Amino acid sequence: MPTNDEIKSSWADEVELEGGALPPPTEVRENDFKILTEYKCGKDNKKTKIVRTYKIEKRIVSKSIALRKTWTKFGESVDDKPGPNPATTICGEDVYMQYITSKEEEYKVEEDGLEKLKGMGDKTVVKCRTCNGEHWTSKCPWKDTALASAKTADGEKKPGAPPAQLPAEVGKPATTSKYLPPNMRGDAASKRLDNTSMAGARRDDSMAVRVSNLSDSTTDADLEELVKPFGPINKLYLAKEKGTGSCKGFAYIHFKFRNDAAKAIATLHKHGYDHLILSVDWSKPQAHSNP
Amino acid sequence: MKPLILHGHERSITQIKYNREGDLLFSSSKDNKPNVWYSLNGERLGTFNGHQGVVWCIDIDWTTTKFLSGGGDNTLKIWDCETGKTIGTIYTNSSVRACNFSYSGNMAAFANDKALRQQCEIHIIDVRNVDESISQATPILKIPVSDSRVTSLLWGALDETLLTGHENGEIIQWDLQTGKKLNSTKEHDYIINDMQMSKDATMFITASKDHTAKLFDSDNLMLLKTYKTERPVNSAAISPIMEHVVLGGGQDAMDVTTTSTKIGKFDSRFFHLVFEEEFGRVKGHFGPIHSVAFHPDGKGYSSGGEDGYVRVHNFDQSYFEYGFDY
Repeated sequence: MPTNDEIKSSWADEVELEGGALPPPTEVRENDFKILTEYKCGKDNKKTKIVRTYKIEKRIVSKSIALRKTWTKFGESVDDKPGPNPATTICGEDVYMQYITSKEEEYKVEEDGLEKLKGMGDKTVVKCRTCNGEHWTSKCPWKDTALASAKTADGEKKPGAPPAQLPAEVGKPATTSKYLPPNMRGDAASKRLDNTSMAGARRDDSMAVRVSNLSDSTTDADLEELVKPFGPINKLYLAKEKGTGSCKGFAYIHFKFRNDAAKAIATLHKHGYDHLILSVDWSKPQAHSNP
Repeated sequence: MKPLILHGHERSITQIKYNREGDLLFSSSKDNKPNVWYSLNGERLGTFNGHQGVVWCIDIDWTTTKFLSGGGDNTLKIWDCETGKTIGTIYTNSSVRACNFSYSGNMAAFANDKALRQQCEIHIIDVRNVDESISQATPILKIPVSDSRVTSLLWGALDETLLTGHENGEIIQWDLQTGKKLNSTKEHDYIINDMQMSKDATMFITASKDHTAKLFDSDNLMLLKTYKTERPVNSAAISPIMEHVVLGGGQDAMDVTTTSTKIGKFDSRFFHLVFEEEFGRVKGHFGPIHSVAFHPDGKGYSSGGEDGYVRVHNFDQSYFEYGFDY
């Protein structure tokens, strides 16, 4: 490498700023800064002032590089002034390198959720509502048996149901998030068709129960767990925020039998659920109350 | 990091290269004017006007005095770096796909495409004293390539061998004394889009359409490492100071309109050289990346893409502090 040589040149870093004043382009040199001011007339006769601030830096480089810095511009750039031409050189927006930790760790994070909760205090943080075991209700080994079997899956198979959001839903089979037309659905849905005619189910509000004061994080699955013990359900509707998919705080449950519904109201009204006290009542027949 | 966006091309970038010291960055695109930029501030030094069509490949010699470009107009041009004037032009019978100066700078190699009644050929030419007469001069060596065409090309150690990457994924090492095949390996399934040497030239990295980049020993063509992605890899480079490689690629340009940018994976992807694991990504381009290059000092890198922009990045401190967990 040749000996180092000091040269002064227009090494510049471009910074764009905004300001406001009047016409011809000016170039001001202050200390180590070159300030270029330009005025432009936009399409709608709006005057815009463009202020570009360049920082002039001195760098000590090898002779060959210093020499190259003095080369005159050629080709399309022959008319360019010293320093970067804003037409060809743009200072981009900040970008950051996204660091990726190894893939195993990425998956671990989700799994760890449960472990963390356990580690936080006593071990009964997570309690299954079906069997009182130490796991999420959705991960209960009895989930698809006994209680669940016949009455399941209305809520889950709802076409609009969002993909898993809470850790509680992680364990579910992948098929639940995929839309299936009603005639292609599994036995649960077809059973429903057998038992009640669609026309009857649609308008019959007499067995509908309105649950309100639900917490934001309530999901279809949670709701189902909550009301399943009372009897067979025709339809579950949990009102959700369109964008976020979080619960709007109320839900409608259509029971198959009126006395089941009455039982549910009696039990669940003023029942504490997820630190909120539920309010459960018959669904009031409104013009378009049925969603 | 705040990248500098160099907007000197009207069409997609085909190749970018730094000169040896890294103060200049050369770029070529499917428009007909290769550009040269000061890499520090993104100032354009000039354009090399003279080609009639796509410029596929470029190279700069060791002393940054001569610049080589080969294109779809069936010519290979040798330029004076300082003035941007053509010194010599070699006319071929098909488009020039790959070109490289030898390490010594005394010779250059280029390969032209297979075309109608024109076989793929590798030419070795003497570039010590270039003038107009070079178009008539007979090449030092002409190697006809019968099977798959050459898509990328590198000089081996001491300018005694030549490494070529082929359309069928094969890599061939040629002996330049005899013009015979010395060694070959076929680790890739599809076209090899790019090959780049490590700083000490003991290894080279290949980028292939088969969604992988592979690291080879440049002496015996032994496969050392494989970097897997989900999209075709168009270019790969090895960091001169860290044990990192950068891969540029993404979907084929023809499929871009049918997929969103999110799943197009147009990021520059950084892999650990040894562990073959991806550790970082940099976003920016709106289309596939066609060429990546590390700054010779390893403190930055550039990428050129289908969108016609060259993005010059200087790494943040966090990049140098980033420790790979193992």
